[in-house]
Amino acid sequence: MRNLLVKAAALVIAAAIAIGPAWAQGTVNLTFRFNDTEEKELRAALDQFEKQNPGIKVTLQRIGWRDARDQYLREAAVGQGPDVVHVAQVWVKEIGQAGAALPLNDLVKSSPPGSGFTDFMAQELAQTKDGKIFGLPWTTDTWAMVYRTDLLKEAGIDKLPDTWTQLHDDSAQVKKRTGKTGFGFPAGGSSSGAIWFLANFYWWSNGKAMVVQKPDGTYGMNLTVADIADCMHYFKSFLTEGHNPTSNLSASDAHDPAILQALVTGQQAMAAMPPNTYKQVLEMYTAANPGKPLPFVSGPFPKGSVTRSSMIGGRMLVINPNSKHPQEAWKLVKFLASEPIFTQYYTTQFPAQRSLLKNVNWSPELKGFAEQLGYARTWGPYSDGPAPIGAMWNATGRAFSAALSGQRSEQDAAQELLQAVSKLMQNRAQ
Amino acid sequence: MRGERLFIAGMLAPAFVVLALFYAYPTLQNLLVSFTDLSLLGLKRGGNWVGLDNYREFLTGPEFRHVLFNTVVWLTALSVALRLLMGLGIALLLDSALLRRWRLSTIAKVAVLMPWATPPIVAVVVWRWMLEPQNGIVNAVLRNLHIVDDPVAFFADLRTVWPSVVMVIVWNTVPIVAVSLLASLQSIPDELNEAAALDGASRLQQFRYITLPFLMPTIVVLTLMSVFWTFNNFVYVWLATGAGPGTFTNVLATEIYIKAFVDFRLGYSSAVGIVMALVMAGFGVAYYRFVAPRELKEGM
Repeated sequence: MRNLLVKAAALVIAAAIAIGPAWAQGTVNLTFRFNDTEEKELRAALDQFEKQNPGIKVTLQRIGWRDARDQYLREAAVGQGPDVVHVAQVWVKEIGQAGAALPLNDLVKSSPPGSGFTDFMAQELAQTKDGKIFGLPWTTDTWAMVYRTDLLKEAGIDKLPDTWTQLHDDSAQVKKRTGKTGFGFPAGGSSSGAIWFLANFYWWSNGKAMVVQKPDGTYGMNLTVADIADCMHYFKSFLTEGHNPTSNLSASDAHDPAILQALVTGQQAMAAMPPNTYKQVLEMYTAANPGKPLPFVSGPFPKGSVTRSSMIGGRMLVINPNSKHPQEAWKLVKFLASEPIFTQYYTTQFPAQRSLLKNVNWSPELKGFAEQLGYARTWGPYSDGPAPIGAMWNATGRAFSAALSGQRSEQDAAQELLQAVSKLMQNRAQ
Repeated sequence: MRGERLFIAGMLAPAFVVLALFYAYPTLQNLLVSFTDLSLLGLKRGGNWVGLDNYREFLTGPEFRHVLFNTVVWLTALSVALRLLMGLGIALLLDSALLRRWRLSTIAKVAVLMPWATPPIVAVVVWRWMLEPQNGIVNAVLRNLHIVDDPVAFFADLRTVWPSVVMVIVWNTVPIVAVSLLASLQSIPDELNEAAALDGASRLQQFRYITLPFLMPTIVVLTLMSVFWTFNNFVYVWLATGAGPGTFTNVLATEIYIKAFVDFRLGYSSAVGIVMALVMAGFGVAYYRFVAPRELKEGM
């Protein structure tokens, strides 16, 4: 009996050794690196993908946005890294030019995504001048203003501010009449700080921009020290006059818990944020106040001397050129860009496909974002120009933080920022 | 004789190979990169030779003096001085007859060691929460006691940011100093203090002329080791303030990180790293000149 058991065990082991590699060879293992917080939801979506594609297994990796780009670039340079990568739209060209993104032209041609590549917004950010496509636009969004209607009413404000001056005055009025924070924005200077967006929206609305393309095709700055100092002065006034608390100097992100909580608890009347953060605020309010109507409304950014503005932002999906399974990776990319992902799993984001975006049902609270999309522009020259966006973003955050905290005068900080960006543009242009 | 030499060389070879692979090669590679304009976006194609440009830019740039001052004065000198003073105070307290009489000695030692057992990352995160402007316990207490009207952004206000960072560093690292000094304190023969007391020496005089001279070798070693640990520290400043507000708390280690992984300038960042290594080498020379011979002598 004992001998029989030993023989049976030996047979099972031999069979496992013989069959194992064959079975393993039949399964393609992909890795998808994702940077947002909806890990659970994405895992559910990937489970669905695995069901539809029995020969493919997907491992979901998560990393924070702050470290995502440099971590991936380091890995890709030495032949490593995940198969499919979640990236910001403005990173795609530089990642592609660094040899860290697989050109997708053949895959797009042989197996077009959704209703075709032309249906995707922000294609120009995915393609280099020589026509190489390095990423598939996945999600799109823009920032808008968010208001607590009950606090505006209490402060005697009956319509949303239309200009930057009105925004400042209304913010001061909220503080004066209610004692609460008016426009509470994150004033910190981390390398991925939100002040970068606010400053650019301010400049764009006044007909200025940090990077522009000149008629001769070269790139340059369309900002003077005075323009930058004026912008710094405007945002600093909220802090010095006390309607944005100085504690927000330690907040750098639109989704900073201090800002979200202040909005939810009615300690703050106004904020600027992307839609997924706003949806989070609405969910937090509903959870804390079940059954109560939502006291929130969104609206477009204030007008400057020329227009009102914000950016068309979003994410893309990139395939690692080191991937051993580009066909399967493309299959995964196409699945992630399909409609059910946005209706069932990744519901805090909007699809980058125009045909799918048309079907989005904008709730009354989200109308401001829909309106703002009409005024939004792409990063265009910022992405095409010679200076890396990340470095300009960091320099802007540092300079504004230095000015807003009082480390530097507005004039000095503006001068330093101008010099830093000019240098970045020269370094890369050489 | 020759065989003996070969045997010694053979015994030393593995250590030599490990040192060459893990210290010499990366150092030389870093030195080479520091003479190029290598970017994180250009890792595959490599960098162009720029000679001493990176060094020139850093050493003559506006940030150099500021970063060096922050690293030397705020991060290193102040935190090392406070660590030693507080460590000495705690060691004296732990060694006091009072704690022994009340049988609190062991509990006190465990309590003192707790911060040391906390990883630096956890220590910074915990303190960030405690000092958080809106929901932090420190601000809540200050406001309830009417000491402040508006919450204080400890890690963002220019008046409080460095003291806050230094406090976290000292809190996390003072136990090792205290425990080391306690061990030295306990090695001082009781007879010396008893004889001095009989001769009429006051407590202060006993401390000045007996305790302190006995502790001095340990204090010197701890000072130099603390300087090593602190000067090149990145974690505390980066996690607490991200080198901000602005560049207010930027130190050499955070400057290296920002230039390499935010601005993607690996060549420039390597040059800053080499400058930092040279300063550290200066501390190393001081260690071998003043401390190592004494330790060797005591060992013999």
